[in-house]
Amino acid sequence: MGDDSAARLYQAFVSQDPAAAIAVIEGVRDSSSDKAKLFDSLFAPAMAMLGGAWAAGVIDEDTFTQASVVAEQVNSFVTPPATAHDTGITVLVGSMHRDVHSIDKNVIAAALREAGHRVIDLGVDVRPVDFFERAEETGARMVIVSAQMISTARAVSRIREVFEAQGRDDVIMLVSGGPFAADEGLARDVGANGVVRGAESALRLVERVARERFAGSER
Amino acid sequence: MRSRSKHVKLAEGLARQEQIAPAVEACYQALRVGEIDPLVYCLLAELMLSGDFYDEAIFAASRAIELDSGCSPAYLALGLAYDRRGGMWDQSILVWHELAEVAPELVTAHVQLGEAFAATAFEEEAIASWRRALELDPKEARAMYDLAIAALKREGMATALPGFRKAGELDPSQDALFFTLAGASGDGQPTPVLSEVAPERGSRLEAAYVLAHEEDLFSAAELVRLILDEDPDDAETLGLASYLYLKQEAVDEAMACALRALTLSTRTPTAVYCLGAAFAKRPGLSYHAARVFDALAKLVPSKPMPYVLLAESLLGLQRYRSAGESYRAAVNLDPACVRARFGLAAVLHTEGRHSEAEWEISRAAYHDTRRQKLFWVLYDDYAEGRA
Repeated sequence: MGDDSAARLYQAFVSQDPAAAIAVIEGVRDSSSDKAKLFDSLFAPAMAMLGGAWAAGVIDEDTFTQASVVAEQVNSFVTPPATAHDTGITVLVGSMHRDVHSIDKNVIAAALREAGHRVIDLGVDVRPVDFFERAEETGARMVIVSAQMISTARAVSRIREVFEAQGRDDVIMLVSGGPFAADEGLARDVGANGVVRGAESALRLVERVARERFAGSER
Repeated sequence: MRSRSKHVKLAEGLARQEQIAPAVEACYQALRVGEIDPLVYCLLAELMLSGDFYDEAIFAASRAIELDSGCSPAYLALGLAYDRRGGMWDQSILVWHELAEVAPELVTAHVQLGEAFAATAFEEEAIASWRRALELDPKEARAMYDLAIAALKREGMATALPGFRKAGELDPSQDALFFTLAGASGDGQPTPVLSEVAPERGSRLEAAYVLAHEEDLFSAAELVRLILDEDPDDAETLGLASYLYLKQEAVDEAMACALRALTLSTRTPTAVYCLGAAFAKRPGLSYHAARVFDALAKLVPSKPMPYVLLAESLLGLQRYRSAGESYRAAVNLDPACVRARFGLAAVLHTEGRHSEAEWEISRAAYHDTRRQKLFWVLYDDYAEGRA
């Protein structure tokens, strides 16, 4: 990056010229495409110059406001996106048949979606065959089943049975809910590949499964 | 109608000074001499509650209500005791309903009612109660926190987080942090008259802080301008300028002033705070905000709010466990930090630890009512009303 690029960006702000500001950013982006770094090395110094010019009275209040509007207009060029890029991993999420508890499922689904995964939320009280059919429709190879009661947690084995009966041994089934958190043996008994203990755990497990099991194949 | 006896007044005086054991003894002494007065029982309930003796608090508050069904402070103590004891949400709903009837304009009654509904999975009713609270007082931060938790349960953290930040802006403790960092409490000082402020930096800055505290942002900005005209490289004044812009939702101007201040002096805590707060308003800058608030927490390790702000940035990065640790650090520093308790509750919900989350919310409720001195407000109103 040229040493004067922050000064040129500052000048574009003060001149109220968004096109010039974008041109400066695009010129620098060629050598550094990381937006977070671009923010630190280009945008922040230019903004500091702007603050300094206002403090010194080099620019008046109106110019400061207008320059800030330009900064606002171009900040998406230097600010990392709020939502993650699409990972291409499809995950089916649902609460087990006869289980209407939704909070864990909702929180996990939202966290995965925010992390860029393709989440298909099947809702609550989902029959085992529906997990299979939606996996077939979407090509998903990962399922997260939430069950909050002992009876519904035990019944999760039926989902594994349906997948196996249809020759879909490749589907990774993760389970979440109090009964599984309390007894990991129960998760093994129902044929689960892992226990999700909340949103962050779901993110880690899904990423690990994708890395270890789906690497180089269709996800 | 009756006035307070000397026994009641003694117990009351001790309770107000938080002399718990002597106040309890004074209450029992009043009962022994035949002062069968709802005031004594509701004082006793409040004292028992502050000592975490929930069953005793429930008994005393119930007795006060038996003696007078309009005894509003007893409903407050009873509801809080039910909530904190746990497992008594049905009774809790009834009590908060009653309090909302006895004191319909009491915002907290609606907030508490919503929390009791939420604990029993009546989400729609809970949301209606919090909305009613916000109709009565649009600045009711706790109702906003509760709505954010409800959004978390339905749609996850990405939806809830803006709600947390909005609630945080209503919460006076965030602004209080700025003034603490500036070493300017602003409380109790007379409002400066611009024309009478001495024409030197110290007086101007002090007056500008007081005006900013009173939200007279334009007068404060005039003084800031005068200081900067004499010394444009005054980092502390630039920190205040940044705060004034933040309060006017001018995030870019705030960022520019804070960055300039930190270029001049990296150890300007007010500018560090303002930069973090400006970054936090940009969803893509959660990482930057976390970095800044982490630095602020190290700069002032005894203050809980930087940990809260750090935690909120970590939530934006989906680092829930680290956020939980940061919230816990805040709660350890200030167990009455309502914002940290709600944040911790949110983290616990993401971990599926829902009952612990409800417990944190009930703790937040207790501390919030204490912060507002709500018991004493109701107590004084009730005592005055029957005199």
